Formats: sequence, structure tokens, C-alpha cells
Amino acid sequence: MDLHYFLYGIYPYIVLAVFLLGSWLRFDYAQYSWKSDSSQLLSKRYLRLGSNLFHVGVLVLFLGHFAGLVMPVELWHSLGISDLTHQWIAIIAGTIFGMMALAGAIILLIRRLTNSRVKATSRFMDIFILIWLILTLLAGLSTLPASIHHAYENDPSVMLVLGEWVQSGLSLQIQSALLNEVDWVFKIHLFFGLTVFLLFPFSRLVHIWSAPLGYLMRAYQIVRRKPRTL
Amino acid sequence: MSHLLERLQFFKRVKQTFSNGHGIVTEEDRQWEEGYRQRWRFDKIVRSTHGVNCTGSCSWNIHIKNGLVAFETQATDYPRTRPDMPNHEPRGCQRGASYSWYLYSPHRVKYPLIRGRLLNLWQQHRQQGKDPVEAWTAIMEDSDQVKQYQSVRGLGGLVRASWETVNEIIAAANIYTIKKYGPDRIAGFSPIPAMSMISYAAGGRYLSLIGAAMLSFYDWYCDLPPSSPQVWGEQTDVPEAADWYNATYIIVSGANLPMTRTPDAHFYSEVRYKGAKVVAMAPDYAEYVKFADLWMPVRQGTDSAVFMAMAHVVLKEFFIEKQVPYFQEYARLYTDLPMQVILRPIDSTDLDDVKAYASDRFLRASDFDNSLEQTNHPEWKTIVYDQDSQSFVCPNGSIGFRWGEDGLWNLKPQVGQQSITAELTCLGQEDGIVMVGFPNFSEEQAKLDYHKVPARQFTINGETVWIASVFDLLVAQYGVDRGFADDNIAKDYQAISAYTPAWQETVTGVKSADVIRTAREFADNAAKTKGKSMVILGAGINHWYHNDMNYRAIMNLLHLCGCVGQSGGGWAHYVGQEKLRPQAGWAPIAFGLDWHKPSRQMNGTSFFYFHTDQWRYERVEADQLLSPTAKAKYKGHQLADYNIIAQRLGWLPSAPHFNQSPLDLCQQAIDNGADSEQAISDYVAKQWTDGKLELAYEDIDNPVNFPRNLFVWRSNLLGCSAKGHEYFLKHLLGAQNGVLGDGEEGQCCQEIKWHEQAPMGKLDLLVDINFRLNSTGAYSDIILPTATWYEKHDLNTTDMHPFIHPLSEAVDPGWESRTDWQIFKGLAKVFSELSAKHLSGTYKDLVAVPLMHDSPTELGQALGVQDWKHDDNIEAIQGKNMPVLKVVERQFTDTYKKYTTLGPLLRDQGNQVKGIAWDTTEEYEFLEKLNYTEMEAGVSQGFPSLADDIAVCEAILSLAPETNGEVAYKGWQALSKKTGLEHTHLSSTRRDDKIRFRDIQAQPRKIITAPTWSGIESEEVSYTAAYTNIHEYIPFRTLTGRAQFYQDHEWMLDFGEGFCCFRPPVDLKDTQAMPDILKDKPHLRLNWITPHSKWGIHSTYNDNQRMLNLSRGGPVVWVAEVDAKSIGLKDNDWVEAVNANGATVARVVVSQRIPKGAAIMYHAQEKIINVPGSPTTEKRGGILNSVTRVIVKPTHMIGGYAQLAYSFNYYGTVGSQRDEYVLLHKIDDDRIDWLERELTPEKEQQRNPAVLK
Repeated sequence: MDLHYFLYGIYPYIVLAVFLLGSWLRFDYAQYSWKSDSSQLLSKRYLRLGSNLFHVGVLVLFLGHFAGLVMPVELWHSLGISDLTHQWIAIIAGTIFGMMALAGAIILLIRRLTNSRVKATSRFMDIFILIWLILTLLAGLSTLPASIHHAYENDPSVMLVLGEWVQSGLSLQIQSALLNEVDWVFKIHLFFGLTVFLLFPFSRLVHIWSAPLGYLMRAYQIVRRKPRTL
Repeated sequence: MSHLLERLQFFKRVKQTFSNGHGIVTEEDRQWEEGYRQRWRFDKIVRSTHGVNCTGSCSWNIHIKNGLVAFETQATDYPRTRPDMPNHEPRGCQRGASYSWYLYSPHRVKYPLIRGRLLNLWQQHRQQGKDPVEAWTAIMEDSDQVKQYQSVRGLGGLVRASWETVNEIIAAANIYTIKKYGPDRIAGFSPIPAMSMISYAAGGRYLSLIGAAMLSFYDWYCDLPPSSPQVWGEQTDVPEAADWYNATYIIVSGANLPMTRTPDAHFYSEVRYKGAKVVAMAPDYAEYVKFADLWMPVRQGTDSAVFMAMAHVVLKEFFIEKQVPYFQEYARLYTDLPMQVILRPIDSTDLDDVKAYASDRFLRASDFDNSLEQTNHPEWKTIVYDQDSQSFVCPNGSIGFRWGEDGLWNLKPQVGQQSITAELTCLGQEDGIVMVGFPNFSEEQAKLDYHKVPARQFTINGETVWIASVFDLLVAQYGVDRGFADDNIAKDYQAISAYTPAWQETVTGVKSADVIRTAREFADNAAKTKGKSMVILGAGINHWYHNDMNYRAIMNLLHLCGCVGQSGGGWAHYVGQEKLRPQAGWAPIAFGLDWHKPSRQMNGTSFFYFHTDQWRYERVEADQLLSPTAKAKYKGHQLADYNIIAQRLGWLPSAPHFNQSPLDLCQQAIDNGADSEQAISDYVAKQWTDGKLELAYEDIDNPVNFPRNLFVWRSNLLGCSAKGHEYFLKHLLGAQNGVLGDGEEGQCCQEIKWHEQAPMGKLDLLVDINFRLNSTGAYSDIILPTATWYEKHDLNTTDMHPFIHPLSEAVDPGWESRTDWQIFKGLAKVFSELSAKHLSGTYKDLVAVPLMHDSPTELGQALGVQDWKHDDNIEAIQGKNMPVLKVVERQFTDTYKKYTTLGPLLRDQGNQVKGIAWDTTEEYEFLEKLNYTEMEAGVSQGFPSLADDIAVCEAILSLAPETNGEVAYKGWQALSKKTGLEHTHLSSTRRDDKIRFRDIQAQPRKIITAPTWSGIESEEVSYTAAYTNIHEYIPFRTLTGRAQFYQDHEWMLDFGEGFCCFRPPVDLKDTQAMPDILKDKPHLRLNWITPHSKWGIHSTYNDNQRMLNLSRGGPVVWVAEVDAKSIGLKDNDWVEAVNANGATVARVVVSQRIPKGAAIMYHAQEKIINVPGSPTTEKRGGILNSVTRVIVKPTHMIGGYAQLAYSFNYYGTVGSQRDEYVLLHKIDDDRIDWLERELTPEKEQQRNPAVLK
């Protein structure tokens, strides 16, 4: 078993298992830790700028990755979006929102390390996950020259291969061989990105699961009935 | 069920909807609620309370879970009040509710701690084979070694030690001090016994047994209103909070009820629903102002002017223009208004050809040829004019009747059994109208106001003098026109002359119309309700130098309106007195009087004023305070000199007494042939009068007169009440300090030897006993961990309600802590053991006792001050113009045995309170059975045990009249003999009641009416002060036996306070020198006001995380918006307040609430919480008292004169601090220095900052 097969054939399943089971266990057994751990109460300085840049950037990146890699290409074809257009959209959006997220994350990291109150209340994982996200973003942004090069050569194949690989993984029949020919920068980004999901249940990222979307729709009053046991 | 699986049923969640779909019903899991339930679950509840100086005494349920205190809640099971009266509960406040945080907090002192450098020295000497006392001696005799640990006091470096080690060190230090200097060089400071009586008694008992001096606190805190002893001969007695509800008109002045009387404030609110009118006087928009119908924004420190003006209105409208029968009757019976005063001719060159007089002393029976047939103390019996017999008579009740005879010390309008009608004014029958000059201090230079007074002529020793009644003098003094064609008198309220409403407006800023209306309403209400007009007053007006003027102005108004002693009326002063209800049972135990009498006691203010060398920096000159009419024998003397004279004449106590050890003095006397107590006493007195011996205070900076060991427990002396904090650090402790003055002023003292070099580091050992490490602990050499208020058995009472409370051991004392009783017991044991080698045998100890109030020696010098020191014609007589020199025999080796048993004196000599004595055999025998007796052979064998905390509680409860009906009965019986009236009916219904410790643990119990107090516990009326004086004809314990408008002591008259007058705040001249950085920088000069705070009780709770979260989390100073704007200050900026005393740093709160010209720094924000360095002193930024110093007032030193006689916490100098000014300026954030650097040898050497010029 070579490293390539481990990283892109086995590791994704370890990640997936840890991500799902870990989240479940934490949700069931450590409810009080299920939170975003906001430090807004301790210091507001730079938080609004950093946090908004980061969150807007990262949310759009997530949606973009989801749309580009998980949704079947046929969907986009049927909407009249060619693979090449698709790639250009990915490059432009990725650049803009990737830079936003990166700038935001760097501001947040500086704040976390220099603001004495925030620093004093930071756990190791709070700092580590932020650094990891920055590295992932940097790796993602470093794929841009290669992607632009592909786009100029009217060759969206790498993008399509990556999508195919993701889908193969999500459908539990992963084909690590698909990535054999892919440029190493993509592979590094993939590794970092996968690891984010591995770290997910152990960090404050779990708050993503609980995005308070329900509030948009919920009734004004909720009565939680007492369980009628005995 | 799994939370996740449940979430997966998202679409099945809604079981039902209602309100058109606006509401839904779900059956979601509610397990999460368990978390909250668990937080509030507990295993048991124990009743306890908070032993803190808040006058609260609130009953709390302490909830215990898994052996730990989980939380506390307010108990709501007080005995009910009568119908139509709100109940007391719930009692408590946000501070008490946060107490349990302390138990397991980082502040908790868990183990005995000791200054590391001291421990090193100790171990070195011990390892060389020295025994503990030798080791301590070796350290003490090397000044370098002493300096090693003294100079780092306050700079950390405390390490953990064992109980054995610290007990040995402390005992060794005590023994060394007793041997070398005398036991009066050891002192103990602990405040307010009522907040935890057993704890106070523990240290008090140990220290008293070894002959150390206990320091008073009530006067030192300036919570003692000297006016109360002056006017009533009563320390302080006040209505319970419930009695506010009986009032129908209330003025509140300087007492922030919702903030500092939180558990009681509901009565203040409820009485308004009943229809009472409430007027609030406060310079700021204080919390209590919100409740009021009228706010009088009075300029701070000028309150007396408002009340003088109100009394002016009342005198004019209710005494001169018309007479109210109730007021007239009250004035005749219960006040000195009908008493006759001699007028003394004065130099009146400023009046053309008009002879003028000043009011002098009261006329006495001894002034009459046959002394009006009074053979017993005629010079102590005052005189009225009887309308019935048309003659001067000597009515019952004056102080002369109190001692040496029985049955006539009462307030019945009688001479003996013969009825009289005392005349208030001689107008219509006067022999003439004379011009009397009254001192007026309202302007910079004191002057005389001349007014006309109707008077009679009288012949004393062949000389004709004018005499006038206090009433006639008072009306003139208040500037009320009586139609005598007096050019100087105000014709109406608009005239600007003392003391009209218009005049007061110029002084106080309060609208004169408001004052006139309030005065009228107040008096009118009192006339209609027989005295249900009340003034609630407090620290806000008592902490001024001339506090007695503020207070007496109020008392005058109340007495004119017949309010004092009436339920719902009178004087309601609430400042930290926390009434020690079972006092009579407690005192013998607390001061070891069951073994030795007397104990050694010292007035705190004078002790600290001298020993912290604040007298050296005194910038107020006594001469400036004198009246233009003063006889002024002591012109040119300084304030400190007056204190020395007072000690010499036996007016104030002293500790240390003399410049020699009191043990050595006795030994010397014996060596010179003295064979009895009397002979020793005479020998020492002779040495003294011959000039071979001098008072320690006359050479206070001589090392033989230093206090050597100081115990502080239940207190945060240094972080809280130490007015002149920086002087404490500099002179007493020898620590890093911020004193900026040079201290050359003291050179002018005439009675004190001047040492060019002021001493630094007088104390060899400072021991702090506390459950938390606070500012005092930080400066101490040894800290002993004590049990918290939830970890010990103790007693607690208050003046705010009539119930007696327990503190209970809800959980064991945490870590290595012990209860105070056990701490001092352990120390007594080690002390006794070490004494076997170093202090064995019997020692005779000379105790100098001042002329005590409530004892026959309060009859000192009746007719003038006779100072023997500088006049050979004056004889020094112990108990008259010299302290009483008593000899006490001590066996130091028996200290432990005596500490742990109730001594035989209580059985053999009985007990007493306020001069009333009774037999205690019965109670003593009861305690033998209840507590069991000591089995071990020795001096204590067979005596009731006091080994355990509960045994001590039971002893107090059994011995006190308040908790043992039989004792109350005996007390009233004894008083009945004195007054000749029957009083036992006051408590006879409860004669069989005995309140025991388990009873009060079950429910707080209402105490029994006792002669210790002037009010009664009854089902008909609420407790109110002076009730028995008015309704039972028991005299006030004053010269005249009545409430006194007039003070006729020579010093009172010298300082112009015979009558109450308005005296503006004193200029302390502390801002004359200015730091260089301020010379061209915007700054403010502000009056420094330090009231009690919302987020703490003194310094307690100020460092509690829960309170810090609710407040700003560190020290703050409040400044007016306009002031802040003028120097560009913004809210939350850092500021420094600085003057010659030192500097303090805090953040600023900018508020419209604060009046211009004042800065408010709330009391005792801890120095250990967020206090940076001061840019001026370069030392730690300090506390509220870093910029204050204490100044003493000569009139508070008077003694041996009826009500003006010393008693512990009763009379004496008070530590006022509110006349102070500071310079306040902004510190930029980047200039804030937290001083978190290593201590370098240079820094350590440089203990003092550069002197400000």
C-alpha cells in the first residue's frame, strides 16, 4: 500500500467516519461543549471585520466546492453551463472568496494571539484549527495558477476528475487512482481539506452543524410537553 | 435517547399546534434540564449568616451537597411581627448571596502562611539549637535581620508553614515582647463583635489574659457619633428598621438605605404606602433619593446648617410665636432646656460700652450656700427654676444622684418626692436682659454673634453673676427674634444671619423655601403624633471632622419636636454599630474578666494617630479651632498635645502606658518596699508626678514605646479602615509607601519629644487571621487560615432587628483552617508551654485605667480642668485627674487553662453592665452542668469548660440578660434600686425564657428587654432608642440626666461647641504641595468622599468574582460630568488622585449624579485587585485611604465628666476622613505601569518616594 493509496483511498473514509461518529458522540455526550465559543464578549476589536470576512468567504467557498464537486456535471450541462464556464466561475469565485476568507482568518488569528484576554481564554485547538484553516486556504489558493493554466488551455479535465473522485468517495466506492495524474498542489489542498473534517468533531467547528436556520421558520411559542412516563 | 436520533425526527417533532399555528407542542427530550436541576440539588440545609460589618444579620439557609457548600438562599422563617406591620423577611442582599464563592475561591487562605524571609531566619536560628524564644530574640536583636523581612511587607513572598511553626513563632514573639518591653506593647485589632461574637472573644480573651491591649474600632471607623455620648451618655442606640414603618414623617440624611441597609430598605419603601412623607438630603442623586418626595441637594459637609435653619424655624413658630403643650412638657422633663447656666463676662471691646457675656458652666447645687441640702456630690447636680415654689431647685436625675446614693436617679419632675414644674424661660420674671456672645464659625475667621438673653441674678461666694436657662440661651443662639430690640437679630427668614433659612441657602445651596416648609411639616407632624417624626442619618454626615455638629443639629431639632424615645420618631443612626445584644454575657469572656480585672483597652484612633506617626504631619492647628471666648489654657498646643493631656488626666486610655514596662514598674515598686496594690499604685504615681516616669506617648518615637506585635482578625485594617494608609506602611510597617509629605509639622508639639529621624517599621510582627488573602494579609508576616462563616458556630446580632442569630458549622473548616476560638486556644497552649521556661511564676502588671463612663470615676473634675503636670499647686489624684493605676497578677503559664474555662470572678463578683450589677451564681452553676467542668488538675479544675465554640455560645447566652429572662429580671431589679422606680415589669413576662444555641439554629429568636439598652422588646411597640428614658423616667447617662443641648465642659466651651453651631469642613492643607507633572497639566481639586459601596461591605465582597462581574471589576472614582469635561476626562480613563498623604490610581466613572467639586471613591476597593502603580509615588497605586489621614478633635478627648468619659468604643477621638481634598488628573493608558518587575535590591532599599515640596 503506497502513501497515495492511503491518503486518497483510505484516509477519506477514516475522516468520514471520525467526522460523522465523532460529531454524533460529541452531540450526545458533551452537549455543553456544543457551541461556537465566540470571544465577542471578551473583545470586539477586529472581530467584526475578521469574522465577517472569514465567514462570508468560507461559506461561499463551501457552497462552491459543493456545487462544483458534489453536484453531477450533468446538472450544470442541462443548465447550459459548459465545463469551461464552470471552471472560470470556480476560478473567479474561488479567488475572491478565498482571499476574503484568508484575510479574515489571518485577522482572527492575529487577534487571537495578540489580544491578551482572547489569548488567555484560547485552548490549543482554537489556535490550531485556525492555523489549519489558513493553511488549507493557502493550499487552495495555490491551485489557482494550475487551474488558470488549464482554463487557458480549454482543459477542464482536472476539475472533472476531482469531482468524479469526490463523488466516488461519497458513494463509498472511492477510486484513488483517479488522482494519479493530478498536480501535487491539488493533492496537498485535498489533504488539508480532508483533515479539516477529521478535526471537526474535536474543535469549535461543530457549531456548523447547528447553524440556527430553524429560527427563520420557527413558531413563536414552543411548548415542550413533560414526558408522560409512569 | 440519543440527542442526535431525536433531532433526526425533525419532521415528526410538532405534535400539536395552537393559536393558529403561532405555537407548537413538542415532546422533545428534556434531559438537558437535569443540568440545571443538579446545580440546585443539595443534601442538607444549615442556618447561618454572614459575619460581616453591614449591620445586616440576615438569616441564610446554607445548602450543602457532597460535603461542599453549593449555594445559599434567604431564610424566610423569622418570627412574625404584629398585625398591621410588615414582616422582616426576606433579609439579604446581592453581597451575602455571593458569599459561598469565597469558600473555594483562589483568595481562600488554606494553610498557615508566613513571610518567606522570616521563616528562613527562624529556621537558621532554630537549627543552631536555640529554643523558640531565643530564636526570636536573636532575630529581633539584629536590626538587619528585622529589616530583611519588614522591607518586603506587601511585596508577596509568603510561603506555607505548619501550625506548629507559626504558633511557636507568634508565642515566642509575644513572650519576648512581654519580657523585654511589657505586655502593653502587644495589641489586637478586631471590629464589631456583634458580627461574630465568639471569634472576637477568642482573640480578645487570649490578648487580655496575657495583658495585651485591645484596640477600639467604632471610634476609629468614625462610625461612632461622638454626639450621642455628648447628648445622651449613650454610645448609640437606634430604632430597629421596623420602627421606620411607624413614622409619619422621615428625613434621610447621609444614610443610603437601599444600598447599605438593603435587607431593611423595604420598610423605608412600605412606610410611604402608609402615607409618610420622605425628604432626602444628599449632595448626589443617591439611591435613597429615588424614594423621596423632596430632594434637598445639600453641599457636602454642610448638613448642620440645614438642620440649624430648620430648628430656627421650629423655635420661632412652635416655641416663641406659639407654644405646643406636648413640646413644652417634653422639653421640661427630658431635656436640659430648663437647666440654669452661669454667664461669664467676656472682653467685648467690639461692642461700645455694652457689657457682654459668654455662657459658662451649668449652675450646680454646690454653688448654693447649703448646697440645697445635697450632701452627696452636690457639684455634680444641676439646677432648674421651679415655677411652683418660685425658687431654684435641684431636680432628681442628674449624675450626682447616680453614684453614692440610691433611689433618686430618675427623671420624675421631682425634688426627692416633691413635685416641681421646671421653668423653661424666665421671660417676664427676668432680672435683666443681657448681651451674650455666641461663637460663629461660618466664615473663615471665627467671630461672636451678640444676642440679647433674659437672665436672673444670683450670688455665688458673695459674687453676683447672671444666670440664664439653656432654653433662653438656645433661642438667642439660633438667632430667633423675641422682640428685645436686638439689632443683630434676624427680623425674618430672609435675613442673612445665623441661623436663618436664607443664611443656610448661602452655605448649603438648599432652597430656603424647602427648608422652611420641611421644618414646619416636621414639627407640625410631631406635634400631632406626639413625636412620630424621624431623621435617619448615617456615615455620609458622620465622617466629617465636625461630625458632632451635623449630628447635634439634628438631635436639637428632634428634641425640640419631642421625637426621641417615641416609637416612629427620633434619631436613627445606622453606621456599623451592629448592636452586640448579649453584651453583658459576652464582655467577661471576651476580655478575660472572669479571671483578671481590669483588662487593658486602648482607643484605636489615638493609637494609630500616634503609632503611625500621622501626628508628625499634622497641618491643622488647634488654635484655629478655638472659640473667640476660649479661656484657652493650652494656646499654642497642637492636636496631639491635647491627646497627651487627656491621657495624663485619665480622660483617654494609653497603650503602651509608660516609657517603662508595666511589669518592671511593679517590680521596682516591690523592690522599693511596696507591699500592696495600693502601695505599688502610689509608688508609680509618685514616680510619674516626680517626672521620673513619663507617658509612652510623650516620647512616642522612642523604640521602647513602639507597639511590637499586632494581631488583626475579622478585619481588613490596612486595606480598608486605615485612614492614612501610607503612614501605616511607612512608619508602622516600614514597607514600600507613598507618603509625600516631609512630616516636619509635628516639631511644634509641646508635649512630645521630637526625634529628627522618624522611625520606620515599628512592628516586629503583624499577624493576620482571615479566610481570604486581602490587603492586610499581603502586608502581614503571618497569616492564619480561619473558618468561614459557614464553617463555625458563633453568634450574631444587629440593631436593625430584634433577633439573635447563629453562625453554624455547615461544613468542616476547609483545608487546614480552624475556627478563631480554636486558633487562639492553640496559640494559648503553645504560649503557656513556652512560658514555663521564660515567664514562669506570678507577675504583677500595672494597668492604667482611665476614668470610666458608667462607673463612679466618671465624676472626675466637676468645675474646671486641673492639670497637675505644669502646676505644682494642683494635686494629682488617681480617679480624679489621673488614671487609676491598678495591679493585675498574671500567671502566664496558666494562660491556656484560663482561656478554656470560665473563671471564678464571675461567680464570686457577679456581672454588671452600664453600672448596674447583679449576682451570677445561679447561671454559673447552670454552666457547670451544661458545659461540664474541667477535670485536669490546676488553676482551672472544676470550672465550667469553654473548650468548644458551642460551649462559649452557651455561656454567653446563659449570662446575658437579653437571652436569659432571669438575668434580665435581676438587671431591672438592680436598676430599680438606683432609680427608685419599678422597672421589672418590662421583662417579667419572659422571666422564665432561656434562649439556647440550638434554639436559634432552629429559628432566630427575639431577645428579652434588658437594662443594657434604652428601648424595649414588646408586642406593642417596635424597638426604639431612649424609649425607657422617656416612658420609664430612667435618666440619660449625662451630667444633667437629660438629653443635653448644652455642653458645659471647659474644653467644649473653649472650642466653641457649648451649643451646637455650624462648622464648615476643615482645611487640611494636603494639596498645597503639588507633583511636578501636574504643574502644567489640567487637573481637578476635588473633595474626597468615600461612602459605602454597592458591590461590597467594606472590603469584603469587593474582591468577590461575582461582585466584580456585576461592577466594573476594579477600583473606580466617580467624578461629575462637568468636572470631567473641564480636563478632558472620558469615562473609564485611568486617573490618579494625589495629595501630600499619597496617591491612589483608579478608573474614572463620569456621571451626572455626582456634584461638581467632589470625587466619590467607594469604600475599600481592594488593593489586590487591578491596582496599577502611581506615576507620582512610583509605588502601588493605593486604596481610598492612601490620600487621607486622620485628624483628632480635642473635644472628643474629654473625660471624667459624666457623659464625657471614656469607655471602649463609647467616647474618644474618631477617625474622620471626609474633609480631605485631592488633586485628580488623567493617566494615559500607555503610562499605566503594573509594577510587575523583579524586586531589585535598589528598589527594596528605596522605600519612600521623593518628598513633595
